Amino acid sequence: MRRTHRAKRKLVVPAVAAIALIAVACTSGSDSGSTSASGSAGGSGAPIELTMWHGYGDVIDNQGQTNYEAKSLTDLVNEFNDANPGIHVNLVYTAVNDHALEKLTVGMQGGQQPDIAYQYGTSIPQLSTAPSIMDLTDRVQDPSFKWDDFVQGARDAATFDGHVYGIPALIDNLAIVYNKDMFASAGIDPPTADWTWDDFRAAAQTLTDPSKQQWGWAFPTDATEDTVWHYDAMLWEAGGDILNADNTQAAFNSPAGVEALTALQQMAVTDKSVYLDQQNTGKTDQLFNSGNIGMLVTGPWALSAYPDVDYGVQVMPTFGNGPHTTIAGPDMWVMFDNGDGRADAAWQFMSWLTAAQQVKADSMEAGHLPTRTSVGQAPGFQEAFDKKFPGEGLFVQNLENVTKARPVLPTYDEISRIMGEAIVTVMLGQAEPQQALDDAATKVNAVLAGG
Amino acid sequence: MFVLPSVLLVALFSIFPVVWGFVLSLQKASLISPNRPFVGADNYTRIASDPVAVKAATNAVIYTFLFVPSSIILALFLAVALNQRIRLIRFYRLAVFIPVAVSTIATGVMFMWVFDANFGIANWTLGRVGLGPFGWFDSPSGAMPSLVIMTIWGWLGFDTIIYLAALQGVPHELAEAAAVDGATRWSTFRTITLPLLGPATLLLVVWSTISAVQLFDEVYFVTKGGPLGATSVPVFYIYKLAFTSSYGFSAAGYAAALAYALFVVILILTLVQFWMGNRVVHYSS
Amino acid sequence: MVEKPHTKWLPFSAWHFLLMPVAILMLVPMVWVVMTSLETLAQTQHFPPILWPGSFQWSNYPRAWSSVPFDTWFINTIIVTTAVVISNLLFCSLAAYGFARIRFFGKSVAYFFLLATLMIPVQVVIIPTFLIVKQLHLINTLGALIVPNLANVFGIFLLTQFFRTLPVELEEAARIDGASRLKVLFRIVLPLSLPALATLAVIQFLWTWNDFLWPLVTIYNPSVYTLQLGLMSFQGSHVNDTNLLMAGNVMSMLPMLILFIAAQRYFVRGIATQGLKG
Repeated sequence: MRRTHRAKRKLVVPAVAAIALIAVACTSGSDSGSTSASGSAGGSGAPIELTMWHGYGDVIDNQGQTNYEAKSLTDLVNEFNDANPGIHVNLVYTAVNDHALEKLTVGMQGGQQPDIAYQYGTSIPQLSTAPSIMDLTDRVQDPSFKWDDFVQGARDAATFDGHVYGIPALIDNLAIVYNKDMFASAGIDPPTADWTWDDFRAAAQTLTDPSKQQWGWAFPTDATEDTVWHYDAMLWEAGGDILNADNTQAAFNSPAGVEALTALQQMAVTDKSVYLDQQNTGKTDQLFNSGNIGMLVTGPWALSAYPDVDYGVQVMPTFGNGPHTTIAGPDMWVMFDNGDGRADAAWQFMSWLTAAQQVKADSMEAGHLPTRTSVGQAPGFQEAFDKKFPGEGLFVQNLENVTKARPVLPTYDEISRIMGEAIVTVMLGQAEPQQALDDAATKVNAVLAGG
Repeated sequence: MFVLPSVLLVALFSIFPVVWGFVLSLQKASLISPNRPFVGADNYTRIASDPVAVKAATNAVIYTFLFVPSSIILALFLAVALNQRIRLIRFYRLAVFIPVAVSTIATGVMFMWVFDANFGIANWTLGRVGLGPFGWFDSPSGAMPSLVIMTIWGWLGFDTIIYLAALQGVPHELAEAAAVDGATRWSTFRTITLPLLGPATLLLVVWSTISAVQLFDEVYFVTKGGPLGATSVPVFYIYKLAFTSSYGFSAAGYAAALAYALFVVILILTLVQFWMGNRVVHYSS
Repeated sequence: MVEKPHTKWLPFSAWHFLLMPVAILMLVPMVWVVMTSLETLAQTQHFPPILWPGSFQWSNYPRAWSSVPFDTWFINTIIVTTAVVISNLLFCSLAAYGFARIRFFGKSVAYFFLLATLMIPVQVVIIPTFLIVKQLHLINTLGALIVPNLANVFGIFLLTQFFRTLPVELEEAARIDGASRLKVLFRIVLPLSLPALATLAVIQFLWTWNDFLWPLVTIYNPSVYTLQLGLMSFQGSHVNDTNLLMAGNVMSMLPMLILFIAAQRYFVRGIATQGLKG
């Protein structure tokens, strides 16, 4: 079962997305008002044609294998179309999700935007300014939609400036994935739910053996969002926050922030029990799969990359004083109003697609964590899910711990860059946590102030 | 006129962008929104106090000084070797050219493996002769030399075939005449061949310098400016400012200013090289 | 021809000692690319990389070809590259001859101006160039890839430098005989410049064939993609189809290598000096 592995190549996406956005801006005059995208209005008798873009790939992939994510979505769409003769949803695979934003912005340029598109949650602030994007704030309040049933962190990520712009399409979270055999050979007990970061550190140290090219842990140190979000989870566990309540000041240089970063520093610099992946192009997964790394903090999408490992999954350790907290990177369905009643038809489809029954079907077919709490908490679900997708049961349970989200701001990418640089500087042994975080906080405050 | 069509084409696709870019450099601009407040020379003065820009500039200087002389000298050497009439020479020429044909992505991935600090062939080989493991791309001090090696490897074939073409223009008779007069092969090379390669050398020096200062692809695909800015180069910084949101959405004007500053630097460098070159290089007499 | 006698210590030239190791060094990545193209996907995910897969998946090649519109992309790329190379050979020769031999008003300025354009980082001009191409209604067509590249300043530069090294007597003799400048260019200068022309052709081919960023920005319709853009299709939503990607890369490199081998003929010494005898 293959899954989307994100946080890669984030540079290509902004590159061409920005170029395309420029093109939109410079040419918006000539295309003014054109919102007729591909599809029809559905007059008498003819069904309303809707277009839906996704990035899961073809149902049969290039290697000749079945792509269950694509298959699940395709089956659901077909089911809807059969049951609803008045609406016909055309599912189109446009490009992998890394390029989804760029495809969309380019499509908007030509007035060719779809009715529904799959996008990364982090794109929401940027997309909120798109001319025909649907503001879903009122629609999701419909009691039958059960908006509050979606995982908290996903709802937060879909909301920008008080308005809801997306419906959660995919959710994940971070937890420990460990190599059972390595723990057994080292003679130590595998991680438990009661572990603290000190326990984690000790285990990492024991598992590290330079002569055998073995490390206890691995961490991405390319200073991108991948670095930052790993740190964010630890920051939250220590009780800290990224920004203050009204998003005007940095808050990560608090004692909690320092505690989290110090833990990383100790393992990376003092113990040298962490493999620092500077390029972050998949080497870590490969090394884990070859038995060179004992533990990873990663998500359910990565499990299919470890066919050679007998792995176990466990929640991240705490700092001993708080509840378990983890971080999620939700993806969204965004919707566009292309006139002619298509918005209502699209909403009808989306309500159905994201209803509990369909969410459950998709989870069981594609291996996706359920976006709705009612599905994830239903009796028997986690067992059945874990049986079919070994290890993923715990990720479902872990969704309960997704209680916070990263700030949904247009300036988030800048903040991420600043934090990323600070974290990596410390992990490479070139700075101390308090100093690095304070410097970063000063820069972030300048950004937030609009400098 | 001979020159006119080409000049017009180049003008169309160069003048407008150049002017547009200059205007942009005087604004606090976003490439997305039409709101572009005029800030005059602020963008330019910002450069001097921007540590990232200064670092990028320093890196560019270091890289250029490492890359240009080494690649030209190596290329000359190789071209002479490839000019011999020996067996397998066509195979050798092809082999030298192949790295140029391999895409930057493939080259980058390969070098990331070769230079891997723990698993790469480079450290393994060096370990066998007792040299300690190097950090290569992973160490702030080793990343730049690794980048130089990777780019020389990737572009050597290019310089070499230009020299090879130029060597074809060296008349055989001159070398033979010198040999008859008792000159050694080295002094023949030094006094006859080398001066005749003057124009080609000038071309390569100018071109390599311009390319070196504008280094981008390899940094983009492999090091991404790291670790910790060790391989941060001007064009990569410009790219991040203008085309990504890592520095906010209004940095395009500043990026344009940086690009213009870079342009001026290259311009001066090239002028100097041409001036010196024209004093030293002999054209056909 | 006087050949300097010297004893041969080895049955083959000593140059091989230099060239063979260099050749191996240069070829190692090619070997790696080809090996990867013959592996299964699982094998490509192993780290450190497997250099000898044991069994070869030759089927990767037809699969790479057929799972995506490889043939369309191939043809597109051939069209664009051929057009650009021919156009460059023509325009650059004309311009280079003008700069090398003709005195005209504003020559230094024009030459300098052209050179200056080389110095502007492409990232800066990419947007305005995009806007121009859009005005010409060429976006999403092969024209967008051809038109801005009809005359590459590097080519002008290369040929100018080369033309300057040619002995001017030949051309003067022809002009005294009444030939026009154009005739001189085509009948005398160009035949003597085959190595430089061949070099330009190979280089321009290389650049156009491998160009990625410009097609990425201007072409959105998959049926108009060039090969480099198309190869992106092997970057899947879950993992990259690295083995197919490498197979695609190998197939993509073949035309260039064939061209290079064919062009090697022109790197032969002696053609340039024929005119001086007799």
